[in-house]
Amino acid sequence: MWETLIVNPFTNVLLLIYNLVGQNFGVAIILFTVLIRLITHPLMVKQIKSTQAMQQMQQSKEWQAIQKKYKDDKEKLGQEQIRLYKEMGISPFGSCLPTFIQLPIMLGLYQSVIRALAASPMQLLVLTRALWPLPGLSELIPINSQFLWMNLGQPERVYIGGIGIPFLAIIVAVTTYIQSKVTIPPVTNPNDQSAQMNQSMALMMPLMMAYFALSFASGLALYIVVSNLLSVGQYALLGKVYWSNLLPKSRRSDGGKTEKAK
Amino acid sequence: MKIKILMTLLSLAALSLLASGCASHLVAGSWPGVIADEERAYVAAGPFVYAVNLRTGIEEWRFPEKASTANPFYAAPALTPDGQQLIVAGFNHILYSLDPLTGTTNWEFTASRDRYYAAPLIANDLIYAASADYTLYAVTFEGDLAWQFSATQAIWAAPVSDGAQVYFGALDRTVYAVEARRGTLAWKQTLDSAILGSPALGTDGEVFVASMNGRVYALDGQSGDLLWPQPFQAQAQIWAGPLVFDGGLYIADVDGAVYRLDPATGQETQPRLRAGSAIVSRPLIYEQTLLFGTENGSLFLLTVPDEIQTLEVDGQLYGTPALAGEIILVAPQNADSPLVALNIQGVRRWTFTPEK
Repeated sequence: MWETLIVNPFTNVLLLIYNLVGQNFGVAIILFTVLIRLITHPLMVKQIKSTQAMQQMQQSKEWQAIQKKYKDDKEKLGQEQIRLYKEMGISPFGSCLPTFIQLPIMLGLYQSVIRALAASPMQLLVLTRALWPLPGLSELIPINSQFLWMNLGQPERVYIGGIGIPFLAIIVAVTTYIQSKVTIPPVTNPNDQSAQMNQSMALMMPLMMAYFALSFASGLALYIVVSNLLSVGQYALLGKVYWSNLLPKSRRSDGGKTEKAK
Repeated sequence: MKIKILMTLLSLAALSLLASGCASHLVAGSWPGVIADEERAYVAAGPFVYAVNLRTGIEEWRFPEKASTANPFYAAPALTPDGQQLIVAGFNHILYSLDPLTGTTNWEFTASRDRYYAAPLIANDLIYAASADYTLYAVTFEGDLAWQFSATQAIWAAPVSDGAQVYFGALDRTVYAVEARRGTLAWKQTLDSAILGSPALGTDGEVFVASMNGRVYALDGQSGDLLWPQPFQAQAQIWAGPLVFDGGLYIADVDGAVYRLDPATGQETQPRLRAGSAIVSRPLIYEQTLLFGTENGSLFLLTVPDEIQTLEVDGQLYGTPALAGEIILVAPQNADSPLVALNIQGVRRWTFTPEK
């Protein structure tokens, strides 16, 4: 099922794009990422709205009163929070769901990249059987895995003085951190649990993504970098980028409200 | 708080799924390779190379001592003419010389930067090892580099030699002929698609090559010129190298069709035969019979010219079987036993199951 619905279509679309762009697999991954971002754009808009609604709830007087009232009764506070979510039509998972949807896409893309590059005889045998019967598709094999300085089928390293530096993994960590920070609304309520979770995710995700980039094919790392940049771009288009989150707290003159929410 | 815990657990589950999904695709594979001398069978079957006693089917030694699942061995080993060195090529980029009696290491050749999928060729007092790092290495019997020659893509199939030149195909769609002693390029000929099987040498100096897209070519061994007016086109992809036998050129494709061509013209000389399942390696010659391993786990026997028989074995038979006297050795993939010994009638002599 996974193979039929995700990996095989991803692989064939990747190869079709690869053929269209003059057999450059790196460009194919970038364009494929753009395609995925376009398809998942409505989900992202939903995520932004949900996050904004959550933030409004956190700032509401009613919620602050509830917090004050039940500050010593965590269970009751939780119940009231869920009640308020329902009343305001907020899904507590609404802001996280699109992020989770990204994970199977990443997994599918990774498997597709590895499948398309077919770096071993057994992988090539599997690939040739997964190809759609379109003219010219089988002619593309073997795929040129070189892109800039990278072999997209292998983890990336730049060797300087005999030491392998994971340049791309560093870019992955930095872009993931920036993407996580600038797309989360500034914390206005220090007791806001979802905000705390977002903050911890903003630290955990760059480390996890850097680990993936270190360990797995650089094609995946390229996807993550492009995906991060596109994500920031999408948020910027919607006017939801909070660049001030990148500044130290002491330098945020406006309390983090550098972008006007639409 | 409950939501926070739930979300954290969901995050960890999703990330674990991603990590395991990615990791499951890390180990890329090939299929087992087997050879034999008078005493033992040597099978490269994943984490180990096993030496198995031919009479008893019992393991004599394995290499390396500890299982190497991340860097397995699949390329069929090769023996030096004096039988004193067993040459083993691994996914760990290393070419080993082992003592065939004990499995101890004589030397290691570590110049390759990628995996070895192809069996080493031993000819002209040299070891020719084709690597996925695009390079053909010529190594002395002492483990020193004699020369190296680079293609522009990975080399997955073993080279062949007529004594003067070494011929091999690469994924860059090109057939190369290099001078056997010095490694200088004699000629190269670019074909229509990747070359996944070894070339075959004809009796009149021809070099026969099959390309992945199912085309078979005859090249002049001296110049690389195409000899047939047009290549023979099979019905499906060809992974197995051609074989010259009994005045015919035999080809098998991934649909399991077996063709016999006239080496002089490239025309089919008899109706094609059906093995019923994919064939990806060249057959073993046993007297007048060609034994093809097939993907559905059976041996397809073609006794020239057209008598056919099928022997059921196990697993998937991707590699070329080996012969030891009258014993046929097959190394199935995805089977309980990495090595099965049987006779031409299909009667099993023994089945080797390694101890854990």
